[in-house]
Amino acid sequence: MSGKEALKDAFAAAIPVMAGYVGIGIPCGIMESQIGMNALMAFVMSMTFYSGAGQFMIPNMWLAGSPLMSIVASVSFVNTRQILYSAAFAPFFDKVRKSKTFLFAATVTDESFGVNMAKFQEGSWDENRATFVNLLSMTSWGVSNAIGVLIGDALAIPTVIAAFAMTSIFICLLSTQKMDKINVIVIVVSMVAVYFFKLVGLAGPAILLGACTGVAAGLAAWMVDKR
Amino acid sequence: MTFTEFMIIYLLCLATMLVCRVAPIFILKGRQIPEKLERALKLIPPAAFAALVANDLLSPDMFAEGLTQGLIPLISAAIVVVVARVSGSLIWCALAGVGAFAALTFLLL
Repeated sequence: MSGKEALKDAFAAAIPVMAGYVGIGIPCGIMESQIGMNALMAFVMSMTFYSGAGQFMIPNMWLAGSPLMSIVASVSFVNTRQILYSAAFAPFFDKVRKSKTFLFAATVTDESFGVNMAKFQEGSWDENRATFVNLLSMTSWGVSNAIGVLIGDALAIPTVIAAFAMTSIFICLLSTQKMDKINVIVIVVSMVAVYFFKLVGLAGPAILLGACTGVAAGLAAWMVDKR
Repeated sequence: MTFTEFMIIYLLCLATMLVCRVAPIFILKGRQIPEKLERALKLIPPAAFAALVANDLLSPDMFAEGLTQGLIPLISAAIVVVVARVSGSLIWCALAGVGAFAALTFLLL
């Protein structure tokens, strides 16, 4: 397969994520401008750190007067869910070069994880197309953040509504999972666990802890079934 | 925020993010994975998607601003589920979700 074909396939897969990133990236850039970041800083941060939740948290916490190290710890804690995504992709990168694996792994987000994992599960995907999905999504995010900084608060985008595009993408990816007994247990336990961890004040790592609890429940059910 | 303060936050967050993103794939890549771990890895996608959806839709204070405000995302999510089952398309789901959310917000609030 040529690089052009891979890019074309990746673009078709990434377009919903890229469009959603425009809707969320611009308000994120507007917030970043409020703490004195310029368009270049926002672009570089978006193209390297590349974390929607993290980039919203930094200006929010800074404006709320949080100490510097508290911001770093909180943002890092929220992003620990990336550990799960990285581990889940490992079987698909067994024979892929280290440099390519690094580029792919370093550019995964919630949304590109979802799109690429669904494609890998279908069996119709490879590391080149997966990496293109990541890079296209990242570029959309970076450019949208920079535009947000440049326009400042001249444009009012209702973030809550725009952000629902991402929620809808996650719902679609969840709905298209195989609904066998073990997966249903995993899904229900993960959702209940996320709510529970938020209830007890662990909102930051709720996604990671909730997903780990769901995986543990699914594994326990699988072992009981196997006996 | 000064440039130095920005650089400290940015570089430390970037370092921890890179470790979380890159280390697991390199630790597990190319290894003979035990059956239990292989099974656990296969359970990560449904668990992660469910956790991401729950994180966006559910919270202890979701009805704090009123029943209607709390129900709008849930009704919109139900509409997205129907669109997902019918079309299986991410773009249609995103459009349906944002459209439903905006329409419900406009009509009910």
